[in-house]
Amino acid sequence: MSQRDHDHDQDHPHAEISHSERPGYYDVMETAVRELLVEKRLFGADEIRRQIEVLDSRTPALGAKVVARAWVDPEFRARLLTNGRSACEELGITFYDDTQLIVLENTDTVHNLIVCTLCSCYPRPVLGLPPDWYKLKAYRSRAVSEPRVVLAEFGTNIPDDVEVRVSDSTAIVRYLVLPKRPDETDDYSEEQLATLVTRDAMIGVIPVTVGSGR
Amino acid sequence: MSETKQLLNRLPNDIGGLPADPIQRTDHELEPWEKRCHVLADVLDFHKIINTEEKRRGVEALGAEMVGKLTYYERWIAAFANILFQKGILTPSELARKMDEVAARWEDDSLERVP
Repeated sequence: MSQRDHDHDQDHPHAEISHSERPGYYDVMETAVRELLVEKRLFGADEIRRQIEVLDSRTPALGAKVVARAWVDPEFRARLLTNGRSACEELGITFYDDTQLIVLENTDTVHNLIVCTLCSCYPRPVLGLPPDWYKLKAYRSRAVSEPRVVLAEFGTNIPDDVEVRVSDSTAIVRYLVLPKRPDETDDYSEEQLATLVTRDAMIGVIPVTVGSGR
Repeated sequence: MSETKQLLNRLPNDIGGLPADPIQRTDHELEPWEKRCHVLADVLDFHKIINTEEKRRGVEALGAEMVGKLTYYERWIAAFANILFQKGILTPSELARKMDEVAARWEDDSLERVP
C-alpha cells in the first residue's frame, strides 16, 4: 500500500480559531448532522452539552490519582488489577461508556505498553483523549512488532532481562499501565505521588521518575 | 506476495506490524468542531445509533484514498454521514439542504457584523 502518513496534516498546532472565520466543510457537516438528529429527536441538544462537560473533565490527573492510590494501598491495588473499571469507580471515576478496563502492572520483570493498532481506542474515562502520536501510523504499526525500538525513541531503554508486553486495545476492552513506583519516594504523600504520574507513563512509553510529572 | 493480495488481507486501518517511520511526538488541542464531533460520536454510541466498531468500519469503508487524505475527525464525520444514510436515518439530500442552511446562517451572521 503506497500510504503516505495520512495524519501528518495534524502534526502542527492549530492557530486560534476566531468566530468570524468561515466554518470549514466538515465543521458545517458536523453541525448539520447533529442538528438533524436533534430535530428527529434521536437525542437532545442538552446531551451534547453535558457530554462536552464530561469530555473536558477527563484528564490524565484522574489516572494519576488511581496509580497513586494503588501504590499506597495494596488492597486497592489488588482490586484494581482484578477489575480496573470497578476499582476506578470506587474513586468516583464514572465510566460513561460500555468499555472494560484492564490495568497492567509494571514490575522488575515486566514492562507493559498499550496501543490500538486498528485506530485509537484508549482508556478515555481515566486519561481523557489520546495524544495525536498514539493515533498515527508510526506508533500503531511499530509498537507491536518492535516495541523496544519504539520505547527507545521515547528515551526508554528496557533491559534485555525485562519482558516487554504490548496490549492491543479494542472497542470494548481498554488498558491502563500501572507504572512502577519510583525509588526514594517512601516519604511522599499520595497526593505528591500523583503529581509524578504522567499520561505517557500510563501508556507505558516512559517510566515514572522523581523528576517527572506536572 | 502480490500487491493486490496485500490489499485484500489488510483493510486501511489494519496496520499493526507494518514498517513505518520513527515516532514523532505530535499533539494538538482539538478545534471546537473536532471536540463537538468527538462528543457526537459518544452520544451516537450511548443511543446505540453508531457504536465504536461501526464507526471504525465506516472509516475503513471510505477507502484508502479518503483515509489517506482526510484528517482524523474529518474521517469520523464523513463515516457518520454514510452510516446514517445506510441506516435510513438521514438522506443525502436532507443533509445537503441542512449544510446549505448552516453555511447560510454564517453568511447572514457575517453580513450583520458589517458596520
